[in-house]
Amino acid sequence: MSNSSTVSSTSTWAGGRSPFNVSYGKLMMWIFLLSDAFTFSSLLVGYGAIRFSYAGSTTPWPDPATVFNHFPFAHGLHLPLLFVSLMTLILIISSVTMVLAVEAGQRNSKSEVSKYMFLTVLGGAAFLGCQAWEWSQFIHEGGRLDSNLFGFTDAAHEHAKHLKLFDPVHWTAADKIAGPVPFASLFFIVTGFHGFHVLSGVVINIIIWINVMRGTYERRGHYEMVEKVGLYWHFVDLVWVFVFTFYYLI
Amino acid sequence: MSNNHTQTEGNYIPETYIPHAESHGTGSLWRTFWILLGITIVDFIIYFAFGASMARNIVFIVFGIVKAILIVGIFMHLNYEAKFLRWMIVLPAVIFLSYLVCFLLIEGNYVSLEKYF
Repeated sequence: MSNSSTVSSTSTWAGGRSPFNVSYGKLMMWIFLLSDAFTFSSLLVGYGAIRFSYAGSTTPWPDPATVFNHFPFAHGLHLPLLFVSLMTLILIISSVTMVLAVEAGQRNSKSEVSKYMFLTVLGGAAFLGCQAWEWSQFIHEGGRLDSNLFGFTDAAHEHAKHLKLFDPVHWTAADKIAGPVPFASLFFIVTGFHGFHVLSGVVINIIIWINVMRGTYERRGHYEMVEKVGLYWHFVDLVWVFVFTFYYLI
Repeated sequence: MSNNHTQTEGNYIPETYIPHAESHGTGSLWRTFWILLGITIVDFIIYFAFGASMARNIVFIVFGIVKAILIVGIFMHLNYEAKFLRWMIVLPAVIFLSYLVCFLLIEGNYVSLEKYF
């Protein structure tokens, strides 16, 4: 045993070894994700501050349950939270397939990595489709970046409080007044920023999937790249946990 | 196998060093998935079973943090990483986020006081 390796095995920072025991690329991915976490938390905290500021206002913050209460093929029924729960489920499943791809990569099993990467891409695309539908519903009902028709009159608010699952509900123009503009703009900004992360994640996953199929990583001898995109993909899932909590649950 | 895997401590080159990835099996991954799914279902049940209240909000936020710990720890593999990497990622996030949230809770109230009183 050489002298240098004896020294480095006793002290992490003595040199001659990676103190974090990860590759350069993975370390950079972690630092990027940390900075991205700050960006998203700033957005969510900003959302909280603006929502706080409407407490006691004459145009109160709309209850998400009365706004995001649609489900495909169940038009006109009061179904809050169901659709976003489905989106959460899709994202969790695609997270599992991603982590299974990483695990298969650690065993250098090309066919399995390829299969799970495909399923992950599929899950991401399904999530994006759901989000497109959600956005189109919201825009259709009057949500815009610079205006929001989801202020409800007092009578409509009272009615919304007593709605039960599967109750038919049709908001007419008479039920609505101009509501807080930040409700709509922040919805577009935060879910849009998250959706853009999902979109870029899907694109990156497709590139990695193609590389897996072409045998790039098999020749390289390791599937480190799959682990790196896996980190990014799980981060997207992590952000959705908090978007789901603060936008739809609370 | 490429040279990267066989790189020993003596000839460590930071730019190309890649530690050997060890599979931990799929058991913990599936268990984490079922826990995440279970928490989401409980979220869903609580949402419809109880009316909006501060206690319900706190439960949702605590569940969100539990989910975050599971995703970062198991899915993103941070539990198995080197000690210094774990702290380098977790500490700044915890410190900065608590700072932001504390000031939201203190100053957020002030914004509405300014506006309406």
